[in-house]
Amino acid sequence: MIRGSTGPISVILPIPGLAEERRPSLRHLAAIRWGLLVAALLLCLIGLAMVHSASSELRTDFLPRQAVWVGMGIIVMVIAFSIDYHVLLGLSIPLYLVGLVGLVLIFFLGHRAGGARSWIGIGAFGGQPSEFAKLATCLLLARTVAGANRRSLSARQAISAVLVVAAPALLVAIEPDLGGAAMFVPMLVGVLLVAGVRPRILLGGALLLAVLGGALWSFGMREYQRQRVLTFLQPDRDPLGKGYQVQQGKIAVGSGGLLGKGYMQGTQSQLRFLPARHTDFIFAALAEEWGFLGVAVTLSLFGFYLWNGATIAMRARDRSGILLATGLLSLFAFHALYNTSMVVGLVPNTGIPLPFVSYGGSFMLLNFASTGLLLGVDFRRYVNR
Amino acid sequence: MRVGEHREDLVWRVRLLARVAVIAVVVVASFFWFVQIVRGSYYSELADNNRLRKLPIKAPRGLIYDRQGRLLVENIPSYNLQLDRSRASLIDASIQYAAGILGRPAADLTSTLGRYKTTASYAPVLLAENLTLAQVARFGVGSLEHPEFEVEVGHLRLYRHSDQTAQVLGYLGEPSEKELAAGGVSGEMIGKKGVEARYDNELRGRNGARVVVVDSRGRLLEEKHMQPAEPGQSLTLSLDIDLQQAAERAMGDRVGAVVALDPRNGEILALVSTPSYDPNLFARRLQADEWQQILNAPNNPLQNRVLQNTYSPGSIFKIIVAIAGLSENVVTPEESVFCNGVANFYNHPYRCWKREGHGRVNLRDALRGSCDIYFYQLGQRLGIERIARYARLFGFSLPTGIDVSGEKSGLVPDPRWSLKARGTPWYPGETISVAIGQGPLLVTPVQMAAMMATVANGGVRVTPHLVKDAPVAPGESLALDGAILRTVRDALWAVVNDGGTGKEARVPGVDIAGKTSTVQVVGQKSWLDSTTLPFEQRDHAWFASFAPANDPKLVVVVFVEHGGKGSHAAAPVARAIYESFFHVRPAGEEPDVLAAVAGEVDR
Repeated sequence: MIRGSTGPISVILPIPGLAEERRPSLRHLAAIRWGLLVAALLLCLIGLAMVHSASSELRTDFLPRQAVWVGMGIIVMVIAFSIDYHVLLGLSIPLYLVGLVGLVLIFFLGHRAGGARSWIGIGAFGGQPSEFAKLATCLLLARTVAGANRRSLSARQAISAVLVVAAPALLVAIEPDLGGAAMFVPMLVGVLLVAGVRPRILLGGALLLAVLGGALWSFGMREYQRQRVLTFLQPDRDPLGKGYQVQQGKIAVGSGGLLGKGYMQGTQSQLRFLPARHTDFIFAALAEEWGFLGVAVTLSLFGFYLWNGATIAMRARDRSGILLATGLLSLFAFHALYNTSMVVGLVPNTGIPLPFVSYGGSFMLLNFASTGLLLGVDFRRYVNR
Repeated sequence: MRVGEHREDLVWRVRLLARVAVIAVVVVASFFWFVQIVRGSYYSELADNNRLRKLPIKAPRGLIYDRQGRLLVENIPSYNLQLDRSRASLIDASIQYAAGILGRPAADLTSTLGRYKTTASYAPVLLAENLTLAQVARFGVGSLEHPEFEVEVGHLRLYRHSDQTAQVLGYLGEPSEKELAAGGVSGEMIGKKGVEARYDNELRGRNGARVVVVDSRGRLLEEKHMQPAEPGQSLTLSLDIDLQQAAERAMGDRVGAVVALDPRNGEILALVSTPSYDPNLFARRLQADEWQQILNAPNNPLQNRVLQNTYSPGSIFKIIVAIAGLSENVVTPEESVFCNGVANFYNHPYRCWKREGHGRVNLRDALRGSCDIYFYQLGQRLGIERIARYARLFGFSLPTGIDVSGEKSGLVPDPRWSLKARGTPWYPGETISVAIGQGPLLVTPVQMAAMMATVANGGVRVTPHLVKDAPVAPGESLALDGAILRTVRDALWAVVNDGGTGKEARVPGVDIAGKTSTVQVVGQKSWLDSTTLPFEQRDHAWFASFAPANDPKLVVVVFVEHGGKGSHAAAPVARAIYESFFHVRPAGEEPDVLAAVAGEVDR
């Protein structure tokens, strides 16, 4: 019934802060949304295989490191699952502030990677504060919007929600990482939509944003900044950099055909024509070696994950649970959709990794934490409070 | 429930969002379907383009031999520097690096590169040639930092006799834009002139290729397949390098042209145009200043005077007028004319070059002494139409068909031409001038040689050619009366051997027949010795000949630009060629033709 996996689960049982009678019992574990977990773990396996294939030609094979990140991710997931999300929502203001501080610290301690400072590192430890900030923002956003119990949100609530998201997004934008900043927007839209924002508030907000953007473009930006924005929107303007990457990615994807060239047989990735083949463009390497079949399986897993997540949101116990799940899923869905669309050349190329598959630590931890939170929201739907 | 009465609203919106997300996933999947399945073969090709590189294996160009199998042109290995612009991260840095090793200004290389603006960036560009082994080694050492450079082993054309055969063999060069459009490959030298140009297809051979797998840094990983190169066809010329060199030596510093051919089949044994140039300079690809130097050299050495320049034929044309007169029965060999140095035609006095006159002359005497008065009268009797017809019959105003490109046709004037080209009617007085080879007549030295071959071989028109078994038209008989040609040949023999104007060409033991010609460049009193004039105003000298007179094996035509009298400037050159051909040792010392004293003036 519990499929022999009592080990890790039992660890979570003696959680301090939970009253004895409210503590979930072992038999409740059967009610975990296994589909979500299985999808996440299968995506990780695909990721491990592709990271190995894409980096075996490099001086270091990234497979062991990625395995470590997956292991740490599972631990983070278990922790996130164990703590009642209401506790986390309660702590969301300090967590959010820590996230903002991390983003500010980048300006002083940041390492440059791909033109933008997004990394801070102390000794051997390093990470991208923006990933943590995404999680914290999600929590505070859910809490901000959850308070109301009306058919639709008040203008005040909507504005505070916008401000909660705008602060970290702006900090990321001036790193400058416009693509990373854009990743904050979907959770805002998702949460506001589900919470029931009035259409005219949404419309007004979009209008205001357009006016502000136009004003910023005309008066607030220097020429080189405008150039950067244009390059972001049209990577072809920079054919040696991102345009080359997009072109090589498309060649990798297209030449994969239906069944692919075979594992570790992709010419584009193995002969190093495809840049970022183990990180942002890992899906192109996958498409090349496993063909449309591999693409379809992987996309199905993302769809499966999202559908399971949506089910969790729909049967969550309370309004904050629904909204937290919505925010996390919007974040996840947008990453997955944006990355795959980027690889196939549909949207501008910007450094967006593929959840669970791309090589990288911070983002892996974010996704596992998010999965843990989702499982937690689901697990606690029966718990009385 | 805590969520309150609006829970259903929220759930409904989550479901909606989830559906949107799933639809988005399906949309993304369908784009993958489009790129991978619908456009799959297109991208597969691009992927192959990335990883497969076709390395050309250059086919060695065919060799060229003379008629005795002596090598005239060969290939020697050379190292060339190629730049693959698609692999250079910063072109300017690459140029600086190469300029440093080559010891050449970077601007030079940049301008070389500029010529390849329109070619695809992955196609390697030839940046420099003939690297020293030390330079090759340095590019080899730096290949990790500069993978865009590659040293290719090529073949360099070596012309063994450099300027002596330049006008025959031509040279190689980069294809022009027009030649590129016609299928030339940039960076691949093609024949630009002479035999190299005319037989480019035969000589070029077919390049092979190695298809190799490379990684993104262009490192070669494995060979996929290979197609060997087919070397170009070798050519054997009818040219005799001994005779060619003899002709070249005999011309010395003279500006002009020599053609020596076999009248029986049109095979050219010597073809000289002076001044000449060193074709090996072109094989190494000229630098701008070297090219300027050749362009600015006096008397335009690139001009092949044998076939690219036309000149007035002068008295040699009298041969055609004589044949025309006899063939049209307007004169008999015995009929004689009295020459007192001047005669009136159309109320105009026409002078003979010999002021005191030749006295009574028949056809043989008139040719031997080159009497103008005789031919004025003969020309008047024939009329311009018949003269022009015979001139064309002997190939004037038509290309000879020689297998060297760039041949000029020359001009045979007649009343129709006059109306069309000048817009004025033909004046009868002009016929008188044309009869002695003056007037608007223009011929090339090779046309002159072909004409002499026809006279020598009994009336068969042959096509002069340089390649031994060139696909030339077979000789075409002009159906002339053999007796008439014998009469003319006998007269031409007399020109050289019986006190005629060509006695300077005489070689003991060889019966040479020929005709001199002196062409006025500027109007002047004809009895002035033009050797005293400035070079550009001096007369042109011709000597057209064949030997042995009764069984001709060799036709020699010599043209000396501004050489003065044909008898003195041109005939001795022919003599030296005959001496070489018939292995006659020149009597005493080498004939010092420049020192020849101006003696009896002829025309």
